[in-house]
Amino acid sequence: MEFEFLIDNELRKISLEKKEDGYHIADGEKIMRADIQPISPNVLSFMISGHSYLVYIAQDKDKKYIFINGRQFIVQEPGRETKGFPGGEEKALEGKLLITAPMPGKVIKIHVAERQEVRKNQTLAIVEAMKMENEIKSPVEGFVKKIFVSAGELVDSEKPLIELEAKK
Amino acid sequence: MFKKILIANRGEIAIRVVKACREMGILTVAVYSDADRKSLHVQIADEAVYIGPAPAVESYLNMDRIIAAAHASGAEAIHPGYGFLAENSNFARRCEKEKIVFIGPNSNALELVGDKVRARQTMDKAGVSIIPGMNSIPKEMSEYEAAAKKLGYPVMIKASAGGGGKGMRIVCSEQELQPGLEAGRREAKSAFGDESVYLEKYIEEPRHVEFQVLADNYGNTVHLFERECSIQRRHQKIVEESPSRALDPELRTKMGETAKKVVRAAGYNNAGTVEFLLDKNNNFYFLEVNARLQVEHPVTELCTGVDLVHQQIRIASGEKLSFSQMDLQQRGHAIECRIYAEDPKNNFLPSSGKILFLKEPKGPGVRHDCGIYSGWEVPIYYDPILAKLIVWAENRESACDRMLAALDDYVILGISTSISFLKDIISHPEFRAGRTNTGFIKNHFEDWGEKEKNGDELRLALSAAAFDSLNSGSSRIKVTSGGQEATVSAWQALGHWRLGDGR
Repeated sequence: MEFEFLIDNELRKISLEKKEDGYHIADGEKIMRADIQPISPNVLSFMISGHSYLVYIAQDKDKKYIFINGRQFIVQEPGRETKGFPGGEEKALEGKLLITAPMPGKVIKIHVAERQEVRKNQTLAIVEAMKMENEIKSPVEGFVKKIFVSAGELVDSEKPLIELEAKK
Repeated sequence: MFKKILIANRGEIAIRVVKACREMGILTVAVYSDADRKSLHVQIADEAVYIGPAPAVESYLNMDRIIAAAHASGAEAIHPGYGFLAENSNFARRCEKEKIVFIGPNSNALELVGDKVRARQTMDKAGVSIIPGMNSIPKEMSEYEAAAKKLGYPVMIKASAGGGGKGMRIVCSEQELQPGLEAGRREAKSAFGDESVYLEKYIEEPRHVEFQVLADNYGNTVHLFERECSIQRRHQKIVEESPSRALDPELRTKMGETAKKVVRAAGYNNAGTVEFLLDKNNNFYFLEVNARLQVEHPVTELCTGVDLVHQQIRIASGEKLSFSQMDLQQRGHAIECRIYAEDPKNNFLPSSGKILFLKEPKGPGVRHDCGIYSGWEVPIYYDPILAKLIVWAENRESACDRMLAALDDYVILGISTSISFLKDIISHPEFRAGRTNTGFIKNHFEDWGEKEKNGDELRLALSAAAFDSLNSGSSRIKVTSGGQEATVSAWQALGHWRLGDGR
């Protein structure tokens, strides 16, 4: 079966199929066979040509967090993107731009008003988390369509703060 | 000895103190805010008292509530940990008045060392070398100008009530002095409610070397050797070690004796740390006293075999130190890495959220002081320190190797942490060579980025993701890209698959 994942903003394909002699993995030209055994709900053991790899994995919404050899990989399932708004990034939905906070925190200040025009990189709001203030900047030139939050409000990294409309 | 101690803190340090108390047969009382009901320190203490809403000013910094919690639970003493009320002389005085033992220095000493200018005056008088600079807060601008000229640029502006780098800035020329002073005053005012600033000579790229001291209530004082904490980011320590590569036995003895002199001059008791700056020519200058148990105390514990929290409690309960300077020795080498909930790839932005999975590193010579668990939600209200990883080995080289292996063995999924950044620090050739100073991060890690991902590991990660999707049955894959996005279940898509398809 073929899978597509987003990793570091890059779309990657991989195919994995269960056969009698283990799993067949194909990544472009590269083809390998692996014995994969679940050890516990978050741990997988891979045996690939005699080499043993321990893989840690956990899922939160549309993201899979994977740890191998001291490295963390965050893998997203592209088909499920719309279920949540990935933190800190604008999300284009039919020309609309929803701005979310980069991490959960408290809205300190909203710098713009609805229907106001904004320049690219103009500060839209300030969100504080763990004693640090973070400026939320406009990714585009356009205008503010809707503001969903007010100063003092607590937000998570999924709730949209502001909706923008890009200038055409 | 006390029967019950209240711990006025949270996170890894509260847990560290609970464990020490348990070993000593003392009952513990935790305190918690709305954000911490499910935190680890609340779970492991014998009792726990709710002290208010999540913001620290309404809970962990609220003296009335903490004192009331101590009375209500019958605790005879309060351990303040570090941060929050640990160095607040008003709190120490309040405890004294309420007949609760404050496990820390007496309030007079705390007040003295908390005022940097007064501390400088006292140490200067006691014959301790201080950084050349002003020993009082001037009233006129002209006095700053004259002092700066006399010291020679660059000079450092510092807040009298200072700490954590707030209000601190470097001034390189006369033109920058006035705006620098204004900014420094503003910062100091907002951080400490006191706008007093003074000037010091700027010491270029010094090492930060501090000495751990213990003083009982009867005038017995020992030092437990040094820790080097030169690896700092924005004046925050991130890696600490003991011993320091920069000290030889002679300099170590000299600095240690000076640290004891500082403690005596301040009338200080209990555990404390005397911080020095060590310049390129091995001149050392008194910087300040940290009047608390330090975050980095474990490196001293591993090298000396002395449990500093036990000692704090024993001293506070009125016991005499059971050992003298002669009994103390440094053995091997210890390194600590602070594990912060922050994203080094994204300008060190704090990262809160749920810890989906945690695996603590283990093994010979590995200590993990930890305040987190799998399934815990990191709150947004407090300092982002999650845990501390400390290793000990026979020598520095082996300690670095052991630290790297332990960092590789450390799994935290769900939030970003500083682990990958720490690995690159420990494996940096300049760090390995022991050529460290407070400019280390600025000089070598200014435009740090995570190393390119290894292709084999990436493939393995994708395979694991695919395996997970296949077995969780929730997988949907994209069949068209751009424009309309349609999702179908993995089973529907099965027909399209053949080996070697794709790129």
